[in-house]
Amino acid sequence: MAITRRQFLKRSGAVAAGSALGPGLFGNPFVRTALSETIGDRYLIVMLLDGGNDGLNTVTPVDNQGGTLRTNYEGWRNAGSGGIRLLPGELAATGIDPDPNTGANLALHPGFIGSGAGAGGLKALYDLGKVAVVQGCGYPEANLSHAVSSGIWETGDPLGLGIGYGGTGWVGRYLADPTTGYGGTDIPAVNISSSVAAEYRQTGTSVIAVSRLRRFGFPFDKQNDNGTQLQEYEDAFLAIHAEASASAQPGVAQAGDAGSSTFSASQSYPALHNLYNDDPDRAVFEALYPNSSTGRDLKEIAKIIHGVETGQPDIDARHFWLRNGGYDTHSNEGGATGDHANLHNEVASAIKVFWDDITDMGAEDKVCILIWSEFSRRIQQNASGTDHGSQGPMFLIGGKVNGGVYGNHPNIDPAAVDSKPNTIYSQDPLDPFRSTDFRDVYGTVLNHWLNMPPGVILPNVLTLDTGFPVNTYWTVADLDLPLFVP
Amino acid sequence: MGDQNTPLTEADARQMIRRCGFGIPAKDSKKFRVEELAQLTRGEAADLFVDFKPKGFKPKSSEARAAHDKWVKYMFKRKKSLALQEKLVVFLHDHFATNFSGLDARIDSEKTSVKALAEQNGTLRKNCLGSFKDLVKLINVDVAMMWFLDTVFNKKFEPNENYGRELLELFTLGVKDLNGNENYLQEDVIQVSRAFTGWVDDSFRAGKSFLDPFEHDTTAEFPGRGLKEIFGVVHPTQGHQVGGFVSPQSFIVGGEAENEIDEVVEILFQHTDSDGENTVARHLTFKLLEYFCYEGPDKATIDAIIASSGFTTTWELKALLREIFVHDIFFETGAVPGASTKKSVRWPIDYVLGTLRALRVQPKGKELQLQGGNFNDVIELLEDMGQVVLEPPSVFGWDTEQAWISSVGLLARYEFVRDVTTSRDSKPFKPEKLIDLTLTTAGEIVDAVTDQLGVTDQLTAAQRQAMIDFMLAGESEPLDLFDVDFREEKLHGLYALVLQSPAVVLF
Repeated sequence: MAITRRQFLKRSGAVAAGSALGPGLFGNPFVRTALSETIGDRYLIVMLLDGGNDGLNTVTPVDNQGGTLRTNYEGWRNAGSGGIRLLPGELAATGIDPDPNTGANLALHPGFIGSGAGAGGLKALYDLGKVAVVQGCGYPEANLSHAVSSGIWETGDPLGLGIGYGGTGWVGRYLADPTTGYGGTDIPAVNISSSVAAEYRQTGTSVIAVSRLRRFGFPFDKQNDNGTQLQEYEDAFLAIHAEASASAQPGVAQAGDAGSSTFSASQSYPALHNLYNDDPDRAVFEALYPNSSTGRDLKEIAKIIHGVETGQPDIDARHFWLRNGGYDTHSNEGGATGDHANLHNEVASAIKVFWDDITDMGAEDKVCILIWSEFSRRIQQNASGTDHGSQGPMFLIGGKVNGGVYGNHPNIDPAAVDSKPNTIYSQDPLDPFRSTDFRDVYGTVLNHWLNMPPGVILPNVLTLDTGFPVNTYWTVADLDLPLFVP
Repeated sequence: MGDQNTPLTEADARQMIRRCGFGIPAKDSKKFRVEELAQLTRGEAADLFVDFKPKGFKPKSSEARAAHDKWVKYMFKRKKSLALQEKLVVFLHDHFATNFSGLDARIDSEKTSVKALAEQNGTLRKNCLGSFKDLVKLINVDVAMMWFLDTVFNKKFEPNENYGRELLELFTLGVKDLNGNENYLQEDVIQVSRAFTGWVDDSFRAGKSFLDPFEHDTTAEFPGRGLKEIFGVVHPTQGHQVGGFVSPQSFIVGGEAENEIDEVVEILFQHTDSDGENTVARHLTFKLLEYFCYEGPDKATIDAIIASSGFTTTWELKALLREIFVHDIFFETGAVPGASTKKSVRWPIDYVLGTLRALRVQPKGKELQLQGGNFNDVIELLEDMGQVVLEPPSVFGWDTEQAWISSVGLLARYEFVRDVTTSRDSKPFKPEKLIDLTLTTAGEIVDAVTDQLGVTDQLTAAQRQAMIDFMLAGESEPLDLFDVDFREEKLHGLYALVLQSPAVVLF
């Protein structure tokens, strides 16, 4: 039986309205026009689970049903001391829809239920139909190096063929595309970080990195302000940097641009901190964000969205990036409690509060959060953790996200994994465990959330693999996953 | 083409001072002044910088923050060519990146984690001019590294690949060679990781490591894991073994015990790339050239430097560095910025120490507090600049160049400059000690300041004019530098403008 790509990515579960309408709807020119009118209002937040998130302990089979996922899972993951197995009882509160292929019941890691003000976490948002879990995302011949695999995901170039991306990232190419209309001095994207993430790199427009808005002002020497001194200083600073921008030496020109755009952002962004904190409606949520790295970072994003939504001058950032580190769990990974659980709890609690905040702002339907990690982890655990692995789940969260489980759980049968053992990426049309190309998710986001023809940003670089017995690369992407409701 | 016999120009001398240390304080030994260095040839000057006996310093403390500040303070105080020592330790710390957070998460003791890091730091310092091969062998059994990359959790029943992979990927070979061909396969990572099974840290012997034979993976016990050999598998697309080897390389010729990890290193150092050149030598030289010169050095330069240094025979870092310091590539970036010159963004630690030394400002107390603006501690600004030593972000070390000049990083540099240059009265920054106060025209004053900071040739006429305009706004010549109010407003401001400009932010 031939399984078409669309069928393989069918959405499981009862709430199938979005997929019933079908992705064909997006092809309707009237719908497309209607979409484009609201595109400019949308936000995309990219979040990295840095270090390689253990997918098998993130979306976990609870039972076997028509397959052997749970049995296989228990074969690879130990119970008891040093074990990282999640027991069915520990997964009881975080169940999601079943695996589309085997019908096995799935659950999110118990840490995803969040805690404190973020109690409910991603599980609560899943139950609202706002979370799409896309299983088995990867690319052929998984590279187990953090740097190389991150680079593949950030550029959107699975085989590293170097087809002229020039070190740009996939979001960066979107921002720099002429059709988006962003000029060199516009700031369409903010990374909550000390440096700009690789997927935002490009040279067409300005992406700024901000750790904390409150501390983002230009450090004038105010002790010495005689009334005109600050203006004189500003004039000289900008003239020196504008001259550097005109340099024939690319590094100097880049430093000039960076100085100028940093200066201008430092004049408009810091005020967003007080604007948010002084708004009584926002102050309620300000107090609820967990005091964690993810909580603090999402709060900064909320402040900027609040600024955009309230029409602050010179504030029009629509794209954000943040990361949560620590997923390189070679040791002490833990099960329902421990390092991995704490990481997931941090992410889930922070996102839940952020969600409540933007919902209260009335902006939830304009926000989409994309969560990725450079790879999943080894199927078989080591003494107390897991080494580097291959494909794993991605998440999309948002008011217009068509929640549910997409893609197949990777095949973890001992007979189906490689010698490491890792799961094998497959695009064999006959393989019921067929994998998901991570660029299908990027492409769908570009196509249906940002209204950008994906081919412009993600050229099809994979060649047909004529290897025996079947071709395992794809050559035509499916960029029409039903991940969004119309 | 210049060589070791080429006389140094003054611009070359400034380049050596900037790059072979964190800037040389004006008070330092006369030999290291621009005018003295400019009397020498490149070879003579290079010898002056590389001829030093590494000191035995270790930033010991029970607290991570204090250890950081201790090391920064030590770097600040190094005189003469010992500045190169610290510049090398920072390079090696980035190359063998190990961070406090990772150690603390595993060891769960701040004191023990810092102790291990301080020991590692001492190892890097002691060996910064010696054999790179010996250094890799020392890192194999370095206690901090063993915890950071999980060697202590690498046991025979459940091997852990963390260290084995990074040894190949980061410390010796690199994932791919300069032609983009893979240097090793996953099978090699697995086999190398077997050599490290059972190595543990003996806390009773104060940070010494040893092999626990009961946790060591042997071929007799695990025949299913294959032979303990590397580079024997034919690469699926290259169609032959990698590394230039024609037969599998066994690392148990000396038996299955402690010697395995040293033998792995011996094999790695014989690995050749798809051009038939030594892979470790090229990988390390490429990184050193990026550190001391600029991004993306070309193959011909790399190979010439390796050849003339004899590095692949002795593995001596000192010889390799000397060849870098006499090569054209080292001096190219010192030129006036033009289309063909290549510039590098200064690392934050370099920017901070270079500025403090040039201004002869010493931060206050153990906490290294600055004496103006927000009275920040140096570490607070370094953190926003993106570089806290002893805390590189991951085993990959720091993300350099463009990443250093993000808006957050730049604002932190600007704030640092503000905090240093706004110090007042008897506070540390005293430009009146650096500049001739009898100067009366804006042009003369601007030139004096940019000369003192060694960047006059890095500024365009328009940038110089912008600085002159700043000096003259609301004022008229003759200017009076003896007037304290004028000096604090304009001269301090001028210093800040120059220090914040690309002329100082870039090399």
